[in-house]
Amino acid sequence: MPDIQNLIDNYYHLFSNRIVVLALVIVIVTCIVGMFILLVWILINRNNLKKRLMLGEKLLVHYQTLLIDYLFSDDNAQEMDKIKKIAQSEFSRNILINQMIDLSINLSGEAKTKLRELYVCMGLHQDSIRKVHHRKWHIKIKGFKELSFMDITTVNDAIRKALESKNDILRLEAQLALVRLEKHDPFGFLDHLVHPFTMWEQLNVHELITFHNLIVPDFSRWLNSTNDTVVVFALNMIRVFKQTQAVDCVVETLKHPNTVIRRHAIDVCGEIQLRETLPTLKNRYKDEDYHNGLAIVQAMGKMPDKSILGFLKLVLDKEEDVQLQIEAAMAINKMGDIGTAVLEKLMLSGYKNYQIIIRHVLDKRIN
Amino acid sequence: METISNIFLFTVNHVIFILTCLLFAVYLTLSFISAAALRKYLRKNSYVDYHSIILAPLTPSVSVIAPAYNEERSIVENIRALMSLYYNNFEVIVVNDGSTDGTFNRMMEAYELERVSYFFDYRIPCERIRGVYKSHNRSFKKLTVIDKVNGGKADALNAGINISKKDLICSIDVDSIMEPDALLKMVKPFMEETGKEVIGAGGVIRIANSCVIEDGQIKEIRLPNEFLPRVQVLEYTRAFLLARMAWGKLNGLLLISGALGMFDKEVVIQCGGYSTKTVGEDMELVVRMRRYMAEHKRPYQVVYIPDPLVWTEVPATRKILARQRNRWTRGTLETLRTHKKLFFNYKYGIFGMLGYTYWFFFEWLAPILEFLGYLYFAYLIIVQAVNWSFFLLLLAFVYFFAVFLSTWAVLFEEKTFHKYKNRKDVFRLIGTAFFEPLLYHPLTVWWAMRGNIDYLRGVRSWGHMEREGFGKDKKTKPKADK
Repeated sequence: MPDIQNLIDNYYHLFSNRIVVLALVIVIVTCIVGMFILLVWILINRNNLKKRLMLGEKLLVHYQTLLIDYLFSDDNAQEMDKIKKIAQSEFSRNILINQMIDLSINLSGEAKTKLRELYVCMGLHQDSIRKVHHRKWHIKIKGFKELSFMDITTVNDAIRKALESKNDILRLEAQLALVRLEKHDPFGFLDHLVHPFTMWEQLNVHELITFHNLIVPDFSRWLNSTNDTVVVFALNMIRVFKQTQAVDCVVETLKHPNTVIRRHAIDVCGEIQLRETLPTLKNRYKDEDYHNGLAIVQAMGKMPDKSILGFLKLVLDKEEDVQLQIEAAMAINKMGDIGTAVLEKLMLSGYKNYQIIIRHVLDKRIN
Repeated sequence: METISNIFLFTVNHVIFILTCLLFAVYLTLSFISAAALRKYLRKNSYVDYHSIILAPLTPSVSVIAPAYNEERSIVENIRALMSLYYNNFEVIVVNDGSTDGTFNRMMEAYELERVSYFFDYRIPCERIRGVYKSHNRSFKKLTVIDKVNGGKADALNAGINISKKDLICSIDVDSIMEPDALLKMVKPFMEETGKEVIGAGGVIRIANSCVIEDGQIKEIRLPNEFLPRVQVLEYTRAFLLARMAWGKLNGLLLISGALGMFDKEVVIQCGGYSTKTVGEDMELVVRMRRYMAEHKRPYQVVYIPDPLVWTEVPATRKILARQRNRWTRGTLETLRTHKKLFFNYKYGIFGMLGYTYWFFFEWLAPILEFLGYLYFAYLIIVQAVNWSFFLLLLAFVYFFAVFLSTWAVLFEEKTFHKYKNRKDVFRLIGTAFFEPLLYHPLTVWWAMRGNIDYLRGVRSWGHMEREGFGKDKKTKPKADK
């Protein structure tokens, strides 16, 4: 007990301990000062935002007029001088670049070439190149975007280096830039991609191809890639662009050891109606997992064929899973008169939930 | 006797003081993590043009599930807003959870619904589904309405999951207002997954009280005029931008708000769906999903999106707010108790070691200790043992730290989404921060205590939630589950 009492005596007056009091006072003062700093910061931030917004809007209108005048006038030098006069600060040059990019999306042919010439003559490409070499990743990305829109290929090597980056955003933007800048082999980066090619990246590349009318390559080239995500991308693109010439390679992919790849290959078979794969799909059904089995039945629904009627009836009869039963019945229904006759016959049977399944399938409000 | 008393006083003093310091240190650490994560997120997403991907064929399919109970005044508009979301591949499932008013009839009439023979499986147990309804009008093809026996919000969500035909489910309160591009932002993390499965995603909930709302859309953002909703703006800003962002970054997030959350449907089904045995079904589901993934050794992630995705009306009266906070406390306690195995358990990684432990100490235990601290202080006053100079110093320490943290949260809001354009609103918000620790915080402590007491008394109900309702008609609207 005396020891405990001693301990308490030593520490009981912790709250009168000068160090503790001093520490508390320091924290209080820091908080009060911090509060004022934050308040000032908030106000400055608001003012800056407002100013930049107003200036940006003003410049935007100005540049729009000047750029249109430049594109459609004969005296380019005079118009260029006018633009140069305004585009002095980094901020206004950035606004100009953004405006040029926006404009370039809707331009083609001679007008686009003229705009690009202006971009180079004004030395704006140097600004973009500086951004590419910047140490901060988000500034690099801005550089990638500007150069790709303005079709400047001089720093492709620097952009290519970013393909190996661990930063997924930087990698994605480098991929997107190279698809536009690499003239000989825009999708060549897929050959060497070691990182997973996420669905998000795939979607962005697909959007780029679609929106900018890029030449669609033969995606079967990547069906043997060692990067499984690249194979998935290739299959997705074969499906979306309906590359029926890839049939042999797709059939091979149905034997791929990766379940997800096989599922995508099955989807491709259905979507582009590779009827020659029906026997293979039928044979593979029993060896596949639930999701791939479902994909097989769905694919069969997209290429109705009498030869698989028996198989689909078997699925409907033997499988317990609701989704499989519905998909099998839907596939039968898509076979036209024969399918409808089969379903009507099954409706009469009191076995299982045939009546409710078939009513579900035949109801156009549901499907 | 005196020594024992001294030991007791010594322990109480030190425990409360150390815990307070620890709590502040944790808040500060989370704020720094959050700041870094927010900066990266904003930079990363400044290059994303979400609108260009609306029609992309590679996006995952989503079922938006909205349980509705006695929502007759707003249901038609709310469904219309849900069907106008910017996304290609989605369906809207509205679950009429045994409403006793005209909710179902309003839907039937407005959307020309007809009963269909819908074949489905009760993959997750739920109350009997009386019927599934679709419209014969092709304009409403995306809409499915379920009419079921009342079973509460969790049960209604489970019914919706059973009917869902899509890959992802998005649960939403039907009376919340989703940002039109919310689905686009929420599916992105699912599409970005690499080594870790993304099992859930949640975003920032914003407060819509006093905002101008037309046709189910926010037309003008305003700071609430009343004190209680305004102080909740501050509270939500702190919670969402400072704490949850950081927990998302650490992969230790335990809660995706019930107002809006997106989940991998298969994982939800494998986990057994929403629990109907708790009033905190949103938190419980996330914890159970995380636990399931960890126990099955499947690498996973729960992602937090700092974008404002949904607007909701918060309680504007003390009575209703007290009920809400009481329910939140009981929900937290139920979840923590159900999953007590996670407590400081290294097998569950950061989720067990930090996430659960944080909730245990700082979300559940801290209000109890604080309340006991008030009682202890009252005792000290009675026995005239208060060291007043030190008390004032401690009070100043706690008060100014709290105000500082709130100001910091306002700065986060300003630097990120800058939703309050009016400068006056910012001053009002910071002004509110000065009153919050004195006028509002003690109430939250009391409500939390009441929640704990009610839990011990066996109260398990949601409590009656009344809302003002958006739009012109401002009559009281019942919004209660059983």
